[in-house]
Amino acid sequence: MDDPVAVQIPSDEVKAQAKRRKGWFFHPYTHLLLSIVLSAVAQLCLKKGATRTLVPEVWLGVEGLRSGWVWLAILAMVTSLFSWLYSLRFVPLNIAYNLAGLIQVLVPLGCWLLLGERIGLERLCGILLVCVGVFIVAQPLMRVEEKL
Amino acid sequence: MTPFFFLVVVISECCSVAGQLFFKHAMGGSDGVGKGKLTAGIAVMAVGFFLWMGLMSKFDLSYLYPFDGLNRVLLMIGASVILKEKMTLNLWVGVTLICAGVLIVSRTGAG
Repeated sequence: MDDPVAVQIPSDEVKAQAKRRKGWFFHPYTHLLLSIVLSAVAQLCLKKGATRTLVPEVWLGVEGLRSGWVWLAILAMVTSLFSWLYSLRFVPLNIAYNLAGLIQVLVPLGCWLLLGERIGLERLCGILLVCVGVFIVAQPLMRVEEKL
Repeated sequence: MTPFFFLVVVISECCSVAGQLFFKHAMGGSDGVGKGKLTAGIAVMAVGFFLWMGLMSKFDLSYLYPFDGLNRVLLMIGASVILKEKMTLNLWVGVTLICAGVLIVSRTGAG
């Protein structure tokens, strides 16, 4: 279990490095939040691009690459990944995982506010159940993922 | 929701889980970055991504996104099979809630 990726506790050196880089931009939680918001944004952009370029008969959406929205989504995903990796060097993994569950809230919220999707009571209840489930699973999932 | 739709969702989620694990093992090796694993990771990730995008063109995002919670359920099933990891009560409760939520969402109109 000496997997270097699985080492979660920030070393003193890493902490000191974080202190040296002052300013809000280098704050780990800024990047954690950025990463979460960006992955929600990516999903919304992807949805916009997919609706515009794809026909319902096709199941593999390669054609979507013709849309600028999809490339924007890919850019957001990559940026989100780097922000996530940066924040994980300082933020304890259990906190990061719990906060990452926020995506399940942000995406439907964005669908309602930005994409004009109608979310009925039944769907809302389902979404909320998934959210609670994701939060409960976050802790044990983190432990398991280290070993996989 | 048709069984075929559900199958595509599960395949897409499996691809993204497999991709994550490939990436992790490609980066975590003691002998630098594993090129084979990295390529495999990118390949399965791409398949999962394009399947997901195909799904998105057919359904509301607020309908589709809760299915992403199955990602965790699959990871848990994988862990309990491969690692013989014990399923704690917490885990059962969480997995049950995610599945119940997805089931309820799937009953609503696909939009």
